[in-house]
Amino acid sequence: MTGTTAPPAESATRPVAASAAHRAGALALRIASALGKRLAMLLVLLAVVFAAIELLPGDAASATSERGEGAAGIAARRHLLGLDRPVWERFWDWITALPTGDLGTSARGQQVTDLLAAPLPNTILLGTTAFVLTVIAALALGIWSAARPRGIVDRVVDLTSTAAFALPEFVVSIGLLLVLSLWTGWLPAATVTGGDGAPASWTMLVMPVLALTVPQTGWNTRIVRAALADQAATPHVEAAHLDGLPRRRVLLRHALPGAWPAIATGIATSTGMLLGGTVVVETLFNYPGIGTVLAGAVADRDTPVIAAVVACAAALITVVLLLADLVRARTLGARS
Amino acid sequence: MNVNRRQVLWAGGCIGAAALLAACTGGNGAASSGSGGKPRKGGTLRIGALGRASALTRDPHGNQGNESDYLVIALVYDTLTAPGLKDNTVGRLARAFTPSKDLKTWRFTIAEGATFHDGTAVTADDVVWSLRRLRNTPAGAARLPGVKAEHITAEGKHTVVLVSDYANAELPSLTRLSTFILKKNTPDKDIAKAPGTGPFKLDWYRGGNARLLRNEHWYGGQVHLDAIEVTMFESPQAMANAILSGQIDVASNAGAVAARTAATRKDIQVVRRPNDMAMPIVMRTSGGPFADARVREAMKLVVDREAMVKQVLSGYGTVANDILGTGDPDYAKDIPQRHRDLAKAKQLLKDASFDFSRTYELVTTEDVSGLAESATLFASQAREAGIKIEVVKQESGTFYQKTWLKGDFYTNYWGTNDSVVFFASKTLSTGAGQNEADWSDKDFDAAYHKVIATADTKARTAALRGLQQIEHDRSGYLLWGMADGIDLAAPKVHGLPKLPGYGRVQLENVWLAP
Repeated sequence: MTGTTAPPAESATRPVAASAAHRAGALALRIASALGKRLAMLLVLLAVVFAAIELLPGDAASATSERGEGAAGIAARRHLLGLDRPVWERFWDWITALPTGDLGTSARGQQVTDLLAAPLPNTILLGTTAFVLTVIAALALGIWSAARPRGIVDRVVDLTSTAAFALPEFVVSIGLLLVLSLWTGWLPAATVTGGDGAPASWTMLVMPVLALTVPQTGWNTRIVRAALADQAATPHVEAAHLDGLPRRRVLLRHALPGAWPAIATGIATSTGMLLGGTVVVETLFNYPGIGTVLAGAVADRDTPVIAAVVACAAALITVVLLLADLVRARTLGARS
Repeated sequence: MNVNRRQVLWAGGCIGAAALLAACTGGNGAASSGSGGKPRKGGTLRIGALGRASALTRDPHGNQGNESDYLVIALVYDTLTAPGLKDNTVGRLARAFTPSKDLKTWRFTIAEGATFHDGTAVTADDVVWSLRRLRNTPAGAARLPGVKAEHITAEGKHTVVLVSDYANAELPSLTRLSTFILKKNTPDKDIAKAPGTGPFKLDWYRGGNARLLRNEHWYGGQVHLDAIEVTMFESPQAMANAILSGQIDVASNAGAVAARTAATRKDIQVVRRPNDMAMPIVMRTSGGPFADARVREAMKLVVDREAMVKQVLSGYGTVANDILGTGDPDYAKDIPQRHRDLAKAKQLLKDASFDFSRTYELVTTEDVSGLAESATLFASQAREAGIKIEVVKQESGTFYQKTWLKGDFYTNYWGTNDSVVFFASKTLSTGAGQNEADWSDKDFDAAYHKVIATADTKARTAALRGLQQIEHDRSGYLLWGMADGIDLAAPKVHGLPKLPGYGRVQLENVWLAP
């Protein structure tokens, strides 16, 4: 037995190893090409940002001028800021300095890296917490309601998730502020930071995180629920069901794996919406993140600051989308 | 998304107001609130101020976009003079300032015992270097008008001489807000950490928030607070929420909406600082439908000033009389108040052959709270006189690019209101850089030049009275009212400044009850 089985086993491992190496190579290639594509898209996006700011009325020199400042003073500052040069030249300078970590200088003379040093980690903390909570809540609610289609739980979740998704962040925020802070005094209404630039207490994160999580959970719960419903209609899940397997097992082992690609894509698109929501939520709770930096920078026509925030946000979204691509590739690959 | 955008704009607007205040204004240092009991030493004051994370400025001579940054800078560094109570200019780092007979040369004497936070004495050289640095910034010509950098010199160790190109009795008032004094030859890269001479020393600053510690050796006298913690707020609402929930002790310049919310709370003081903000309606005088002075006067008779103050400012303000600079100690209170008179207005318009069939566009922005509302309310009041006005809202950038200084009919706002002469020089005299109504009036110009060239107080006051009468009669400004500056404070806070504009940053007299 051992004599006959050894050679085939040996010969069998070689193609397996080879195909594993091949698959790893293919995966690396896939990631590289996805990254390359997204990098190209980012470049286009940044070019569009520069062009768009250029098209807005006014420029950084006039937007940040003092009221007493004469035309000569504004012209002098326009020159100092390099705004008298063509936009493509400024774009080229900014983009070529980007790899060295130089994000330029704001219209008021601060290094953009300094402006983002404290807010960026704060936004990542806020966004990641909200993201993780969204994923957990959406999966739990989606699966729970899919367990008994058209049951009471399903109907309640269906209604509330639609309502939650329809609520804009500022409505959720104001509701939370009133109930959890101004009426009850349970949570601090605004974020105050310490010398390290981070919120002085974790309790200051609760309401901003909830304000972001609630609408996104509504959205993703619907996606999870719909993806599971689609899977329930597939032959292999129906077969598992007819085989008399327990409902939970069918749902988790047979339906859920097939639903992953749709769920991952849905959750990934939430990243963009989460980041967009931070602009509102950060302002309302005075949370010191990049959302507030962006809002102010647009008013000031401060192109380097806007471009830097866009680049950071795009990098974050790229990572998440890439992960979603991988999940999808893995699931679909496993099936094919 | 609408509400959000409004809020962001609102916050932005308040900062815009700050920028303009920084350019010029003042309040007074001495007058203060809640002077109950004897000042007590110690404690940390937590104060909120408006600011945007994208607009941080650490350079005391930079273009200040944030009230929060200006607050920090003004506590760490001293200006030569400061806004005052009885006189609108009082000495600060300069103990005294005296003019030559021709009012061109001004001598500033440095206060005795003034030292930087590192212990070194302040010399005339430091002051000269700092003033020249300020003068050489792009906005320098507007900050120290008429004084060239080379005309700022030291005379001995304690005296600085400024020579103006023209006679200027108002020169000391120009040094109230941005003449922050740093040590000679401070390199630009060290500006953020450069020692100042002010009542507080910087402990840390990060992302717009800061902690400051008492300067035990301040030449200006005893400072009561141990420390001040400054928190920057993007929106007045968030700042109001923070004080309502007890996270801060003072909400600086919180505005009328916040005041209305807080008015129902017994445990919050609403500190009103009159004459803080002007929101005039500007009518172009050099052409267009308002070129005829009779039309302008009619507009000034059409507005219901009491209703404007009540509805636009929630009552947190006062009626004005079409003269800018209402907080000036020499403001002409004796010029009769203009009241609503629709019959007279209609007659004037008829005499001027005003076209009633046309609809006139009034351009406004949402840069400060109440501005767009003031335009809308005025339009509906004008309808009662048969004048059709359509309010057009523009985004701030568009407004400054397309309408400001150019339009026929628009609203604007100014935070510098304790000097009539300030407006005469900046916005009313012929050829002034910000002559918003493009007004040119020989009598007015003559009165203005007389005022700034007259040293004798009595003669100057008389000339200033004449100037204000002309402005009241026929300028392009319809000034219906003045908004109060509003700070909210916890009951334990005493000694807050009570004067308009940037007088509010002088916190050295503030103390906390136990």
